[in-house]
Amino acid sequence: MSKENKLGRRDFIRAAAAVAAGGGAWMVSHPNEQAFGWQLDPRKCQQCGRCATSCVLSPSAVKCVHAFEMCGYCDLCGGYLQPGAKAQDSGAENELCPVAALKRTYVEAPFYQYTINADLCIGCGKCVKGCNAFGNGSLQLQVKQELCVHCNDCSIARDCPAQAYQRVPIAKAYMLKTLEKGSEPTK
Amino acid sequence: MQQEPTKGISGRLPARLWAVLTVAVVALVVVIATTEKRTEPGASYKLDLKPFTKVDDKDVAFRQTARFALNLDDPSALAVADSGTVYVAGKDAVLLLDAEGHETARHAVKGTPDAMAVAPDGRILLGMRNHVELLDATGKLLAAWKDLGERGYITSIAANADNVFVADAGNRVVMRYDYGGNVLNEMGQRDLKREFEGFVVPSPYFDAAFDQSGELWIVNPGRHGLENHRPTGELVSSWYKPGMDLYSFCGCCNPTHIAFRSDGSVVTAEKGINRVKVYAPDNTLIGVVATPDDLHAPSDENDSHSPVKDLAVDKKDRILILVGPMKAILVYEPKTPGDRKP
Ligand code: SF4
Ligand code: SF4
Ligand code: SF4
Repeated sequence: MSKENKLGRRDFIRAAAAVAAGGGAWMVSHPNEQAFGWQLDPRKCQQCGRCATSCVLSPSAVKCVHAFEMCGYCDLCGGYLQPGAKAQDSGAENELCPVAALKRTYVEAPFYQYTINADLCIGCGKCVKGCNAFGNGSLQLQVKQELCVHCNDCSIARDCPAQAYQRVPIAKAYMLKTLEKGSEPTK
Repeated sequence: MQQEPTKGISGRLPARLWAVLTVAVVALVVVIATTEKRTEPGASYKLDLKPFTKVDDKDVAFRQTARFALNLDDPSALAVADSGTVYVAGKDAVLLLDAEGHETARHAVKGTPDAMAVAPDGRILLGMRNHVELLDATGKLLAAWKDLGERGYITSIAANADNVFVADAGNRVVMRYDYGGNVLNEMGQRDLKREFEGFVVPSPYFDAAFDQSGELWIVNPGRHGLENHRPTGELVSSWYKPGMDLYSFCGCCNPTHIAFRSDGSVVTAEKGINRVKVYAPDNTLIGVVATPDDLHAPSDENDSHSPVKDLAVDKKDRILILVGPMKAILVYEPKTPGDRKP
């Protein structure tokens, strides 16, 4: 059998997941207190890259989301720019995101807003790591429930080195870090 | 002619060999099923900050000469009084240490101060999130000043005989007070004639300190540099060094803390790449004080907060680094030629 024709275990799971996708979408549109799905805790995530490569879906059901109230609207954004970028602009060679999913919009000197094109985002978490290290940690990964097919045994959860995944009620599935007073260390 | 029935392969192999083959196939299936190793995500899926955290030994100009362990939770602020006494604030307490790091006194406070300064007469000023508390030299609360509003977030206090300068990261201003708690003026208004667009403070790191001649320096963290302001607010001079190399200030907002040595050099702490460095008065890098490894903060942890909670320089010109997770003050002095590795 040629390499191209071989149906690997992963391809099989992907094909099955595609069939299940309709059911997953239905579950999200009809959430009930009993329905459980998967979510990752951004406080535990180490941005290892597996959220992009281990999901049964391609691209992954994990996307970057932006907690705007935590963002510093920085010009020199650690999530947007390559660490060694020569210029602080939107030149492709300066962008950290491998698929140009992060968009930079000028607000007023010296502030910029950063938004994510979820259709492009593959959930790799590079921007999340840069934002955590150099900024406020406002960029965070989350399993998008409307995309997730709610595998019984989430294949990212199995591979996650940080044990960041847990079962959550789909109706309350998001667990972003926020800037609640007292929720963060003070200095 | 009657043909002999053809023996299938099953007929030709002995039963024992069959058993061995069956066990081997089952074992193979089990091994494949349980040891399926997903390929490691490639480099384009991961951000590796390690190359940026390496520090060449030739660039390290200071060495650690002492470590003061603190009997204090959440150490959060550090100051050295004119008397030489070291003050450390943390959860519900302010500790007084001698030059060897021995605790000589302890004042109880309510909460965890975010910032602290000691006035020349020994009075203690604490930044309690959005207001200042003034204590006498024995730790008795004298006054709580009017708060800076909902957004107020005091990250630094610098005090001389007449004035108290309070850096408020939430409102992106530095307030100048007298010791009665009266606001004398507010610093941070745009002054385009002097190309000053205000303080850019993306995160709660906003420090202010006096240099050896009493001049007030304020960090403009979003512009990656230091600014010398008159007490009335006008910008006198500034220097900025944004960049990822060792000679610059990395990330979105740095330096997080500053302190001046007696020769006019300035000690700076950075987050992101967690490190402490010293710059000469002409803004050239003298060298590294503490590397990410020294601070036990290798920069790839899931934390946007600096392990360095504050910096100070003591009366012996030693650099004191308050490292929160270690619950300790690390003491650094210049390396001597003998300390340097060949
Ligand atoms: S697999 Fe776990 S550690 Fe890796 S990016 Fe996903 S949540 Fe983070
Ligand atoms: S860097 Fe990765 S996680 Fe961030 S926006 Fe781009 S694809 Fe999404
Ligand atoms: S359960 Fe996990 S593996 Fe399955 S689609 Fe959702 S995120 Fe992907």
